[in-house]
Amino acid sequence: MTSEKGFEPKIIGFLCNWCSYAGADKAGGMQVPYPPNVQVIRVMCSGRVDPQFILSALVKGADGVIILACHPGDCHYKEGNCRALQRHSMLNLMLEQLGVEKERCRLDYVSAGEGEKFNRVIAEMVQSVRMLGPLLLTPENRAQVICLDEQFTEC
Amino acid sequence: MKIGIYFCNCGSNISDKISAEAVTEAVLSFPEHPYVTIIGFICSEDGKAEFEESLKRERPDRVVVAACSPRDHESTFRRCMANAGLNPYLMQMVNIREQIAWVTEEPAIATEKAIRAIRGAFFRVRLQEPLEKKQLETCPDALVIGAGPAGMKAALSLAEAGRSVVLVERTPFIGGLPVRFEELFPALECAPCMLEPLMGDLLHGDYAERIELMTMSELVEVTGFYGNFIAKIRQKPRHVSLHDCIGCGECVEACPATSMNEFNSNASLRKAIDFAFAGVLPNAPFLMEEICVRSRGEECRACKDSCPMGEDVINLEEVETIVERRVGSIILATGAGLYDASRVAGIGMGTLPDVYDALQFERMLSSTGPTGGEILTKGGNAPASVAIIHCVGSLDEAHIPYCSGICCQYAFKFNHLIMAKNPETRITHYHRELVLPGKEAQTLYHHAAHNKNSRMKRYDGIKDLKITQDDNGGLNVNAKGEASPVDMVILCPAVIPAEGAGTLSSKLDVSCDSFGFFRELHGRMDAAQSTIKGVYLAGSCQEPMDIRTAMLEGMATVGYTLAGLQPGRMIEIEPISAEVDETHCSGCHLCISVCPYRAISFDTERNVSSINAVLCHGCGTCVAACPSGAITGHHFTNAQIMAEMEGVLK
Repeated sequence: MTSEKGFEPKIIGFLCNWCSYAGADKAGGMQVPYPPNVQVIRVMCSGRVDPQFILSALVKGADGVIILACHPGDCHYKEGNCRALQRHSMLNLMLEQLGVEKERCRLDYVSAGEGEKFNRVIAEMVQSVRMLGPLLLTPENRAQVICLDEQFTEC
Repeated sequence: MKIGIYFCNCGSNISDKISAEAVTEAVLSFPEHPYVTIIGFICSEDGKAEFEESLKRERPDRVVVAACSPRDHESTFRRCMANAGLNPYLMQMVNIREQIAWVTEEPAIATEKAIRAIRGAFFRVRLQEPLEKKQLETCPDALVIGAGPAGMKAALSLAEAGRSVVLVERTPFIGGLPVRFEELFPALECAPCMLEPLMGDLLHGDYAERIELMTMSELVEVTGFYGNFIAKIRQKPRHVSLHDCIGCGECVEACPATSMNEFNSNASLRKAIDFAFAGVLPNAPFLMEEICVRSRGEECRACKDSCPMGEDVINLEEVETIVERRVGSIILATGAGLYDASRVAGIGMGTLPDVYDALQFERMLSSTGPTGGEILTKGGNAPASVAIIHCVGSLDEAHIPYCSGICCQYAFKFNHLIMAKNPETRITHYHRELVLPGKEAQTLYHHAAHNKNSRMKRYDGIKDLKITQDDNGGLNVNAKGEASPVDMVILCPAVIPAEGAGTLSSKLDVSCDSFGFFRELHGRMDAAQSTIKGVYLAGSCQEPMDIRTAMLEGMATVGYTLAGLQPGRMIEIEPISAEVDETHCSGCHLCISVCPYRAISFDTERNVSSINAVLCHGCGTCVAACPSGAITGHHFTNAQIMAEMEGVLK
């Protein structure tokens, strides 16, 4: 998605069905445009997001990944968002070692009523990845990510 | 594989921004040459008919519907799939309206984004599998634990609805705490009189046959799950047949052994065989083995010999039994108790005479209580002055941080009842806060506030109050440097979960909150459901509450049972659930620790985890947690999610 304005990042957004996906629909209902760079993958719960999905997205060409969850305490499945938070913190440590800036993998909370917040969070995410530029992994790091990704695909 | 892509223009809602023609053209480059059908309004009656006709004609293997949010119409289009004879789970929706057309400025960019999303869905749907809703037979009957207001209401209403109910009660009688009280706030109704019709119906009414009452009983173990629980119940020996006893009390007269009566706050005596208190229901005494002279090896059958109903009523040889009952739902109505006021320093509970907690004072007020309803000090006189201390242990981080919400109301009830008996009594209410919510609570407060003999004094913390005894034996309430002599002190301690709630929670796997009350599935939406499916919460085992709310919660649990479990109706098991591949499971237990629904158990023989599809809610947290990749999240498999990602990124 490169326009004449320059680099336009590709971003994958994992949205939980009950809060953030509903929040995205709410943003839709408000019909206020936001940057088109995020392709949404719906999951039932942010707790379903395996860290390896994120690695895989980065290998397959995403410049960033955003996970949107229910607010703490509001998870439809009680605590799936806490798992998402734990995994996100852990993954960020690993991504740093692989030379991936932490801004490329963001976790945030959007409730079903927060259409405006969804709009804002998406705009912020796109802007921050746009500033970072395309994800460029060193051949070594790329090999590592691919290796992790393949291990995952095997099982 | 034949794949159909159905594109909805949604009038101009979608077509204004996303070009169906451009999508059709882009789809030409997809593998397997899917066909594209454009429909004006696919969710309209005409649109659905057109969709279904097309599905019947084309017989696609997989279907993509690019339209609005799946949160709007996924179930609509799944039904269309089923109507056309296709498995509903072979369809994937793409949200090109809310999440693309309505929020993207430039049509060219919106179209490009829509094509990516459709490609993602196309890649994903190829890997989707047909899923079937499984069905399971269930038992429509219920186990109710606790025969207080909430439990009785639930048991009787379920019986009225035709369900069989097992009602398990720990004490020898029904009616819970309030049946021991004389009068109730806010309307000063006689408590036993108010409960009598409910208790009568429960024991002998038109639907009583469907209620199996087990007194002096407790839950030992529960296995199974929603719709199919097996409960083991331990029944302690009562030694008196509830069925045959006529409640004449001849055996009580004849019994030679006495002890203190715990149901009268240990303020009166009872015989080894005796009623808990006068007027109790079921109207039958019970034998306390530890008091009976037979427990000391003496031979005695005075009670049995005195019974006018024959040999079979009293069974001295009766022993504890454990019975098993199959039920579909379990209603917890185990009630509450009072915080032990002796844990609050300086207020004399348990150390000074004539300092009572609210339950002890309720018994003193009761005509069936130790003083026959007379308010008397230990010296045998009516008190000239009484201190009523609110908020004992409440609103206090060192004790109980919450407000119980009912104490102020019964404290002003006490005021009214004391004044009614002895109008010249001087009463001082010491309170931190006054909490009197609702349309009825003000009346008793106004009676107290407008009475010339009543005073209100606010205190900051319980540390600022000291109850002391002077050299003459008189009591003093010391507050803010002022000592006020009183003859009696009544403490209103925080309401806490009943004894045994913690043990019960571990037997049922039901979580408790930090205060020890059973935790609700949702504090507002589902306050009468526990965290375990099919286990419901009624009354003050969930939080402190008055009788009105407890009764309503009892009815709420009936609603859940009647709605969820119906005779002859199977429960449908949602196929979007997780499943363990035993050949890959390493037996690490990680999935068990992350499951919020306790749907996963461990098969110790095979050394693998196993997921109960009835209890699984399909969140997929275990799928992501499994380090061996042994768990499949149906309809959200790793391969499906990866394929979708690949499609949108291509």
